[in-house]
Amino acid sequence: MSKLIQIEQLEKIYHLGKVKVEALRGVSFEINTGDFVSIMGPSGSGKSTLMHIIGCLDYPTGGKYFLSGQDVSKLNDNQLALFRNQKIGFVFQEFNLLPKATILRNVELPLTYNNTHSKNKKQLAVQALEKVGLGDRLKHRPNEISGGQKQRVAIARALVNHPSIILADEPTGNLDSKTGQDIMKMIEKLHDKGNTIILVTHEPEIAQYSQRIIHLKDGLIDKDEVIA
Amino acid sequence: MILQSLKIALESLWANKMRSFLSMLGIIIGVGAVIAIVSVGTGSTQQITSRIANLGSNMITIYPRTPRGQGGTVSSGSSQEKFSLELTEYMEKFCPSIIKVIPVKQVSGRLISDDINVNATILGTNIDYAEVNNYEVDMGNFINEDDNLERRQVIVLGSQLAEDLFEDDNPIGKKIKLNYENHAYMFEIIGLMKEKGSTIGGNLDDQAYIPLSVAMDKLTNSDYVTSYIAQAASTEKASTAVSELENFMVKFLDDEDQEQFRVISQDEILDTVSSVTGTMSMMLGGIAAISLLVGGIGIMNIMLVSVTERTREIGVRKALGARNIHILFQFLMESLNLSSFGGLLGIGFGWITAYFLSRYGDWPMVIAPLSVGLAFGFALFIGIFFGLYPAMKAAKMNPVDALRYE
Repeated sequence: MSKLIQIEQLEKIYHLGKVKVEALRGVSFEINTGDFVSIMGPSGSGKSTLMHIIGCLDYPTGGKYFLSGQDVSKLNDNQLALFRNQKIGFVFQEFNLLPKATILRNVELPLTYNNTHSKNKKQLAVQALEKVGLGDRLKHRPNEISGGQKQRVAIARALVNHPSIILADEPTGNLDSKTGQDIMKMIEKLHDKGNTIILVTHEPEIAQYSQRIIHLKDGLIDKDEVIA
Repeated sequence: MILQSLKIALESLWANKMRSFLSMLGIIIGVGAVIAIVSVGTGSTQQITSRIANLGSNMITIYPRTPRGQGGTVSSGSSQEKFSLELTEYMEKFCPSIIKVIPVKQVSGRLISDDINVNATILGTNIDYAEVNNYEVDMGNFINEDDNLERRQVIVLGSQLAEDLFEDDNPIGKKIKLNYENHAYMFEIIGLMKEKGSTIGGNLDDQAYIPLSVAMDKLTNSDYVTSYIAQAASTEKASTAVSELENFMVKFLDDEDQEQFRVISQDEILDTVSSVTGTMSMMLGGIAAISLLVGGIGIMNIMLVSVTERTREIGVRKALGARNIHILFQFLMESLNLSSFGGLLGIGFGWITAYFLSRYGDWPMVIAPLSVGLAFGFALFIGIFFGLYPAMKAAKMNPVDALRYE
């Protein structure tokens, strides 16, 4: 198994006025290609900050983060944007679809930013939507579909660029438990097909779908357990 | 990438049609106003110019100047006493660009018909006066050569003067009394002129015309005329004619500084008129340009609101791999689209406004391509200028904060 993510003594300190907030105080772990890992912890434990750094949305203030062997902490804004586009597929709690755009356009969005030819773009987006079972809803807008369907659109959008990691931040947080389970089964299936999945959650039942749980507490790893 | 941003921008503008239209409104009105005002300015100037040109073809007037004394002494002799009748022949001879010179003797008198009397300017002149002034007879005849040779006491009335004296009656053949310097002269009315309006010689309709010989020999007993009216061979030759006349007068009067006479041409008046109307349209155009600027500020305002409102969208786009420049271009394209589309609509709006105004004001409709280009170019510039700040604000957003934005 090749090492996809290597994190060494990662630190993130926010300066809010005069107050210094230590969100991460030296976190180290590794994730291999094809893993399904949950990051758990109560609010304020630093799991969101960790997710932002893994997702190349934010810089660490200390330590090292290697993604596919690349030192992410040394990249500039544009290179980070490219990494987000190529290597990360985000699934958010609030879905974060563009409300005025059709579902097809929403899924095409990541392809827009890497100059995919418009013909391929549509084809790839349709394929991704078919994978999540929404091939017949291309022209609908997000307000015309259910929450579960929205999250499936978001998953299709995350998949469309064939990313190295699917990063799901509380993907069931805005869904009822039945729909949440459906979404988790879909994510599990993606893992079975070989996708690397990192799940950020505070719900133990959701974390149970993964093979390994990293428990964070006060900016440090409290427990790193393999469960399957 | 620009094409990509253009597409994204158009989609989001289309999604907010009403708002897009409202924010375009300032630009539409601004561009429209610039085009309409410039068109009205040019159209009305053309109308005035053609009216002035209509007043008399290539007319040049030569007046004596009031002599200035040096120090305490009165200058020797008025230049008026050099404006003799023979001078007309010399002028015609020495100024090749001039076809004709008409002497004019102007007096003021009181015209009395029955119980009505009117103060009027009386011009002693000859038959050419009417021709040079494009002045047409309504009834009867103008002064002819025989009238002048035989010093007939005949008079031709301007339209306003005739109305004042006789209202709607036909005055031809009637006798009228002219009181001039305590002497009364009886004149027979032989003609009535059509309405003409103002020219460089004053309002022709308020004047009466008598033979030059009568004015000079009978009324004033003078050898000198009041002024000359010269006609240039063509409009193109008018300015040459002016300088020829000036040179001639300088030599004839031995007056290097042109202190004793003044040559006024139709051109000069046209210049004055067009500089006045030019200033007017510049001023109005300036006001319109300010409204364009205000339109630009409106766009900036809307763009800032739009950027704040779509913070979450910006965050999502960045999370999905949009670079800062993608976001910058997207928002810049939006404001550029607003201003260019507004500019296009404004051109149409200005065109229609100019059309109706020209119909209403009865002047030719002139749309200067320069004003269209300038107004549209300025609108585009405003779109970029006022779009840049909101777009930069959007581009610089931190993706984490933008995603968290509620």
